[in-house]
Amino acid sequence: MRRALETLYDAAARAAAFFMVGVLLMVLASVIGRLVGFNLRGSDAYAGYCMAAAAFLALAHTLKRGEHIRVNLFLERFGPKVSRALELWSHAAGSVFCLVLAVYCVRLVWQSHAFNDISQGNDATPLWIPQLAMAAGAIVLAVAMIDDFVLHVRGRHTRASREAEAELKLME
Amino acid sequence: QTKWDMPTPYAATNFHTENIVQFATDVEKATGGKLKIQVHANASLFKAPEIKRAVQGGQAQIGEILLSGYSNEDPIFGTDSVPFLATSYADSAKLWKIQRKYIEERFAKQGMVVLFSVPWPPQGIYSTKPLAAIADMKGLKMRAYNPATSRIAELAGAQPVTIQAAELAQAMATGAVNANITSGATGYDTKAWEVVKNYYDTQAWLPKNLVFANKKAFDALDKATQEAVVKAAAAAEARGWKVSEEKTSFYLAELKKNGMNVQAPTAQLKADFQKIGAQMTGEWLKTAGPDGKAIVDAFKK
Amino acid sequence: MDLAITAVLIAFLFALLASGLWIGLALLGVAWIGMELFTSRPVGDAMAVTVWGSMSSWTLTALPLFLWMGEILFRTRLSEDMFRGLAPWLTKIPGRLLHTNIIGCTIFAAVSGSSAATCATIGKMTLPELKKRGYPEEMTIGTLAGAGTLGLLIPPSIIMIVYGVTAEVSITRLFIAGVLPGLLLAALFMGYTILWSLANPGRIPEEKEHLSFGQRVYASRHLIPAVSLIALVLGSIYVGIATATEAAALGVVGALAISWLQGSMSRKVFGESLMGATRLYCMIALILAGAAFLTLAMGYIGLPRHLAEFIAGLGLTPFWLLFALMVFFIVLGCFLDGISMVVLTMGVILPTIQKAGIDLIWFGIFVVVVVEMAQITPPVGFNLFVLQGMTKKQIPWLAKVSLPLFLLMVLAVGLLYFFPGIVTWLPARM
Ligand code: NA
Ligand code: NA
Repeated sequence: MRRALETLYDAAARAAAFFMVGVLLMVLASVIGRLVGFNLRGSDAYAGYCMAAAAFLALAHTLKRGEHIRVNLFLERFGPKVSRALELWSHAAGSVFCLVLAVYCVRLVWQSHAFNDISQGNDATPLWIPQLAMAAGAIVLAVAMIDDFVLHVRGRHTRASREAEAELKLME
Repeated sequence: QTKWDMPTPYAATNFHTENIVQFATDVEKATGGKLKIQVHANASLFKAPEIKRAVQGGQAQIGEILLSGYSNEDPIFGTDSVPFLATSYADSAKLWKIQRKYIEERFAKQGMVVLFSVPWPPQGIYSTKPLAAIADMKGLKMRAYNPATSRIAELAGAQPVTIQAAELAQAMATGAVNANITSGATGYDTKAWEVVKNYYDTQAWLPKNLVFANKKAFDALDKATQEAVVKAAAAAEARGWKVSEEKTSFYLAELKKNGMNVQAPTAQLKADFQKIGAQMTGEWLKTAGPDGKAIVDAFKK
Repeated sequence: MDLAITAVLIAFLFALLASGLWIGLALLGVAWIGMELFTSRPVGDAMAVTVWGSMSSWTLTALPLFLWMGEILFRTRLSEDMFRGLAPWLTKIPGRLLHTNIIGCTIFAAVSGSSAATCATIGKMTLPELKKRGYPEEMTIGTLAGAGTLGLLIPPSIIMIVYGVTAEVSITRLFIAGVLPGLLLAALFMGYTILWSLANPGRIPEEKEHLSFGQRVYASRHLIPAVSLIALVLGSIYVGIATATEAAALGVVGALAISWLQGSMSRKVFGESLMGATRLYCMIALILAGAAFLTLAMGYIGLPRHLAEFIAGLGLTPFWLLFALMVFFIVLGCFLDGISMVVLTMGVILPTIQKAGIDLIWFGIFVVVVVEMAQITPPVGFNLFVLQGMTKKQIPWLAKVSLPLFLLMVLAVGLLYFFPGIVTWLPARM
């Protein structure tokens, strides 16, 4: 189970990195296209889709690495008991919000398909296709958040993964 | 009291927005405050491409869109931007009269009611280089923001390029773009004279904005309120057409006053464009099906 | 009624943030609660449409690319070299290398249109280096937070494009009008750094080497990579190869090329920079998504509009009108991002401004400076978020060290009011 989850987060993160490169390539296509005289129709729209995909698919991975920021003032100040209670609360509330986000992102895809919502630009892409990446990312985030919540309930969570702390030292 | 939210894409000072604010006031007055329409101009609630689906999905009850923006969804929505099909206000009004039924049909299927439509001033060509004939456009970098404008650029031998509207002025100033098709109104709003010298009043087409409501929200109104909305819409349409036409000459005069070279196209340029228009009308007819053919046939009669 | 709504929403926001909820999710939660309580509109679908629209919008594409460029530079010798080249020139000025933040941000602001990108890119290069050399953190981070906001005022600037479209003033003129106020702010920040260093002499580390003029010039060769990268990005905009949003892509390519030439690029470094940028962007994107939804909720509830209408209806003289608007924007700026503030309020405010006879270009610069303040005021300040992501310091501490810079921006607004020529002189000469 643990391994399956890790594989899921990693796969999503890899896809996010792939789309990040996609943003670069699509913007470069606009620039070079004007210079050399070819036109990749809708490169601006594709850059936007890649960007949304990169952001959403990386959500779970970034959460697991402890890089989504939060105010942990009170988490650190008042002893382990309060800290545990707050962690439980924020993970519970976070799970609810992430689930809601995931549900409505899936609904967005469905609605775009049902409404036949098509990009107005040169690309004329049916929008449900790029929105799939957003829905997938939101689902993986919800899974990761619930996973963290369960780990906290069981008391097995190690705060912010070691890698993140190692990188912090690197910066210092 | 019922409250409607109305997202619109253009700035508060744009004549379309001013007309819509007047429409909202009229509705409120006519219904004695029973229906209040809150206008959210300048894409402040939903961005331009999101407005139609926001109304369709019931997140807003009424909205304004650029109709031809939806030609990727259905070519019939792009009838008014088939180049050189309807090039004057009279022609455009005739086309709208024929076209309206087909738009209403499609919007009804999607759960929406068409209220009124107002055209933009006719589209002309802004160019950094003087144009005597289409041949002069060869190699010019022309902004192409949708399939139709890309096709025009291709047929004119220009290079269609991708650039965002907000960055157009900078791009023209630096030479990243040399030509652009839009109305005198947009040129005036964006102070085109700062970056480009030539405007050719080709009157290529008159794109229209469409105001429409969510059908469920509309049906939920009582009969008298519905009638008040429809009546105010009719008044807004008549007013909008008049203002749009009156402003056309004002915009062109402003462009001239600010040092732009505003001209009618040469006979050669005009003939060249007519040819492109004929070809594109043919291409459009192929995609627009029997409804498209019916509209064009009725229009050309 | 409006007061009650405001109080409830602010209370919710603080409660959610203080309980340790991730910031983006807290914004999302407050927006949700606000819409459920104070409007009758369906919430979820509107949220999804808006989040999608803001996450896939072209105005944003420069941000992830600039973040990536910063990650590449941070992992190569380029930043170290930049310090080796700059250090000899700054040894005589009180504050010494503290000025690298301000100078770096001012130069980078001419390349990037966003404040978060400016802050992150320069911070990636300067913060580790300044820390290594023993500079006081409250000053290195504070000046970075403040100077990072110059990305908005010195052209190109995304917020100016948004204002220009809204107010129908020339974006080119706005860009030009921002140059002198931008330099003024940079000068104020540097002046503050000098005064602070004179007041705290022991806290600025000594520079060991003292070089002759010739040696300093020779040491400047280390600046060549950084200068050529900036020249590439800036040049591409002004020569017309790329637009302001596209230039970031050339920045990434340039950074890759330079680090490859220097021999510090490898598959591993490439992968790390890519993942680092993806995560940093993802962190900011979650907050942006929450902020976009909060903006939508505010649009429905009408809170900013009502407050703007209230101020517009007071019939104030220009001075007090601008003063009231500054306070209004500062308060709003604590909770909303700059672009949302402009979009939500300008429709109501601009007619009043025109009636009061205030120049719209001048007002645009006023708005941009006030929006800059919003980047460093808690709880919602994007430069603070970027800095928390990079330094793991907490928002309250970050806000505290940025406070002097915030006050300098207030001072700058005063200067712009009494000497409007700082704004209008350059555009009038176009
Ligand atoms: Na800038
Ligand atoms: Na703020």
